[in-house]
Amino acid sequence: MSQPKIPLDLILENLAEDAEKSTKLARAGSEVLLSQLETGIATTPYDVVYEEDRVKLKHYRPVADSKLRTPLMVVYALINRETMLDLQPGRSVVEKFLKEGIDVYMVDWGYPTRKDKFLTIDDHINGYMDNIVNFIRRRHNLAKINLMGICMGGTFSVIYSALHPQKIRNLVTTVTPTNFDTDQGLLHIWMKDIDVDRMVDAFGNMPGDLMNFGFLLLNPARLMIDKYVGFFQNMDDKAFVENFVRMEKWIFDSPDVPGETFRQFVKDCYHMNLLIQSKMEVGGKRVDLKKITMPLLNFYGKYDHLVPPGACELLTSSVGSRDTEDVCLDTGHIGIYVSSKCQREFAPKIAGWLRERDEKGKRTKPARTKSTIKQIENIMKANQEK
Amino acid sequence: MGEDQGKSTGTMPLLEAWMKSATEFWASMANIGSISTTSGEEKPQQKEAQKSRAQETLESALKMLGSLSSAAGEPETADSIFKGMNVFPGMMSKIAQTAWETYSHFQQQWMETAGRAGSRTEAYKFDDLDKDVFRAWSELYEQEFRKFLHIPQLGLTRFYQERMSLLSDKYTIFQGIIAKFLHILSLPMEKSFKVLEEKVASLADEGNLPQDPNDYYKIWIKVLEGHYMVLFKSPEYTKALGETLDAMEDFLLVRQEMFQDLMQTLPVPTNKEMDDVYKELYLLKKRLKKLEKEHSTG
Repeated sequence: MSQPKIPLDLILENLAEDAEKSTKLARAGSEVLLSQLETGIATTPYDVVYEEDRVKLKHYRPVADSKLRTPLMVVYALINRETMLDLQPGRSVVEKFLKEGIDVYMVDWGYPTRKDKFLTIDDHINGYMDNIVNFIRRRHNLAKINLMGICMGGTFSVIYSALHPQKIRNLVTTVTPTNFDTDQGLLHIWMKDIDVDRMVDAFGNMPGDLMNFGFLLLNPARLMIDKYVGFFQNMDDKAFVENFVRMEKWIFDSPDVPGETFRQFVKDCYHMNLLIQSKMEVGGKRVDLKKITMPLLNFYGKYDHLVPPGACELLTSSVGSRDTEDVCLDTGHIGIYVSSKCQREFAPKIAGWLRERDEKGKRTKPARTKSTIKQIENIMKANQEK
Repeated sequence: MGEDQGKSTGTMPLLEAWMKSATEFWASMANIGSISTTSGEEKPQQKEAQKSRAQETLESALKMLGSLSSAAGEPETADSIFKGMNVFPGMMSKIAQTAWETYSHFQQQWMETAGRAGSRTEAYKFDDLDKDVFRAWSELYEQEFRKFLHIPQLGLTRFYQERMSLLSDKYTIFQGIIAKFLHILSLPMEKSFKVLEEKVASLADEGNLPQDPNDYYKIWIKVLEGHYMVLFKSPEYTKALGETLDAMEDFLLVRQEMFQDLMQTLPVPTNKEMDDVYKELYLLKKRLKKLEKEHSTG
């Protein structure tokens, strides 16, 4: 007897088995969902040491002897919340930094309301950020501190470092867009065509929920279907459910973005790509990337669909510093901070890199000065002539 | 005509008698009014001065009615009234005719509009029905119905009425565009099922049909993801996204203006007023912070 082309009997048998499994899963899942779940996020202890308007500065309580003289200030994006760096014990960048002996400060941008709609990029960078940097400098009696930026917070950190290089010892940028003239990510394609003036006039502040909906539309098959199928398939696993709910809590906790800040960010960056060309103006001053002379460590994700490599990798070659390093991880936009694999690489790499450059900059290669640039140019010219 | 004349002359004395009695009635009413106001011991000049405006108005109205009755009682006037009564049926029929013509005209316009609505989609053709529905709807609305919302408004409340009409207009456009956008978003889903069918058929031909139902899901979700990526990178999608956002923003802006009108009647500040305060506060704070910085560094 020959084998049938369509093994209908086997398919039906598997289907019946699956139906039985699904029933068991649903029963077990409902027990898990009805049980006491640990879904708290941002549980690492901290103190609010500075407040200005809606903005707060968190200082995490040290858990180990400080191995770095210079504290680290972390600046998150205005989109979503900084709680992503401290999702859960054992999967927290903040926790890892503390264990590595880094003194960690984190900016919490809060929830902008209608009264914040006039706040510009200048107000965020030369206002809030500068006040916070000065506060930390005074608190530690230091001339310079370390600065780490995430996504849009990274872009702010780049601008800040270019405008106030005398206050920053080392700069770490992670998934930070600086070159917006790329077709690698859908966000970059879509943003080019939006009428931001009309949008800001209509909404005042850019609604966080609308932006979140836009992010879901970047990959609806995975983010709106497959993700929840995965949840259903694992709903009998308490640890999985807890992690899943934590992530949901973080993803949909989206503050609005102040209207004027959004307007300038879209126009200057997405529409005109001024930052990477050192043509952007903030607070009446040109943001010259060549003034970023401090060491720079630049992280980005190979599979990041929001801030693709093309948006990140030009930074190191555009700044004035010669102590620069690009690190491309095999992950996406969020995976850098939360995936177990990246957890092993990301925070330890930053801690080690900062430690190397902490001892009064002894081991830090000198920043490019006018004379060194001239020397390099002469050498290159001589090589070309040869 | 002669018969009519005869009828009218027959009723003439009756009308004259009624008019006369009406004149006498209004005259006596006026007298009663003035007597009641002048009774008592007060001097006539004082009383005159104390006459209320209401009394004056009443007296004047009664006098006017009296004169009208007396004028109407005159034989010439009565004759003219009768002539007018003869014309009345003709006048009524003329008004009715005009109203009917106007109604017919509007009905014809609506019928034509409805007829054009039918002509915008091809009968018994369902290939492009989904696409055509949105195109036909937007064309129909923009060319046939929209103009009614743009009829110039008149009078004191014209601006409010205009804003109401504009809100209906923008809302209808937004609904049409969002329906089209959602339809575009549903296309990959539709296509992915077709591709899945084809893949399953080819796997069946090869004899490699997966036995685990989960494998079918994995094939489908991969196909769906691919279709969405293709759609999202297309200029048509970017255009539709832009149109949807524009329509939503237009609607929100007009809605804000409408709320502004409504809020003005309530004892609460409007968004516009609060925005003015916020801006003032923002500028003051900025100035203060700058001065503080200058003071601390100086």
